[in-house]
Amino acid sequence: MSEFDEEFKRFLRRMRELERRTREYIEDEIRRVAEEIRSEIESVERMLSPSWSHNGYLRPLYSIRDEGSNYVLYIDLPRVDEGTIDVKFLGNKVLIRARLKEETRFSEWSGRGGEVRFNEYREVIELPFTIEPSKVKVITKKRVVKVIIPKE
Amino acid sequence: MYREEFIGEFRIVEYEGYRLSGEGYAVVAVPDAGLVGVIGAGQLIKSMKLKEVGGIDSYIHLPPVAVISRGEIRLPIRIFYGEDLLLIYSEFIPSTPSIPQLARAIINYVERKGANFLILMSGLPVPNRFDLEKLRTYYIATTDYVASKVKDLDVVPFENGYLVGPYAMLLKESVNYRLNTLVLLTESYLEFPDPEASARNLEIFSKVTGKSIDVKELLEQAEVIRIRARDTMKNVVRNLAQMRKEYEYAVPLNI
Repeated sequence: MSEFDEEFKRFLRRMRELERRTREYIEDEIRRVAEEIRSEIESVERMLSPSWSHNGYLRPLYSIRDEGSNYVLYIDLPRVDEGTIDVKFLGNKVLIRARLKEETRFSEWSGRGGEVRFNEYREVIELPFTIEPSKVKVITKKRVVKVIIPKE
Repeated sequence: MYREEFIGEFRIVEYEGYRLSGEGYAVVAVPDAGLVGVIGAGQLIKSMKLKEVGGIDSYIHLPPVAVISRGEIRLPIRIFYGEDLLLIYSEFIPSTPSIPQLARAIINYVERKGANFLILMSGLPVPNRFDLEKLRTYYIATTDYVASKVKDLDVVPFENGYLVGPYAMLLKESVNYRLNTLVLLTESYLEFPDPEASARNLEIFSKVTGKSIDVKELLEQAEVIRIRARDTMKNVVRNLAQMRKEYEYAVPLNI
């Protein structure tokens, strides 16, 4: 094989490597932008929809934090009967259901939900990763639930 | 309506004439971390039986909102009064670029109404709030007189760090007006309503001003307040993110 052929082969290898890296970069960027858009749509949807339903349930406030080796989900469940807190995991979804200690209503609030009686919390939280239920730890303190989800 | 004035693009309305007497305390409560200031102010209004005497509005800087309270139409930012205490209360937060102008208008107004001592009570978001049993309160005093008022209380000086949001602007503006300003910051959640932190601030407020505030009632009602404040909290968190509230977690590189 001539020196030219060797050089040409090296050139082709470098071109293929460049092509692979470019493809990976573009795919990563598309994934990142798609995730940003999904999260933005979700956040707008949450903002525009009330945190209660005429069917008698409340949607809790929650937040997700990256705490090093774990993702931690905090859920605020005031007035909840702690014995009824039910947290289930399904793929990348966290399903929460819990009964209130006693029926709650906002009687002085005119119209809308003023006459609705609330009995429980319900929420489905979608996370950008799959959850392994056996590794998850759930702690409750003063009606705030902490769900520790290991990254590995 | 008794009186109306414009400060910049903010319209201040008084429903009746009033002026602060005595020490001239002013409290400004706006939505921030854990709604600590707003929840505390609500209890202060109830406990001190403060009367609604005015309001602040803006066609440019505030959302197009009419507050209906006991059948009366009120402005989005509400002014309450009782002898030596003036309280400005808002559950709405203006857009980030409008905050400096609003802070200037509020401080200018309270100073002209005879306020000498401004007390700003808010939350200091801490990532480990879930694990905390006893909440620590930090303070910032703009004068020696204010510092002497908290000298023997269970509070810690906030010596280094950043404040981000409406309270930061109110503090800076109050310095320009040479007001005696005390900022109380109690450890709190950022994203969940935190009445426990509000109660702690009110205990300190009570000791500084000598006014008796019913904190027990607030603590008993804490969980109901947490339920009721969810939608307000949800909207505030988005605004706090826009004003880069996370800067408060940053360690200053050089002091």
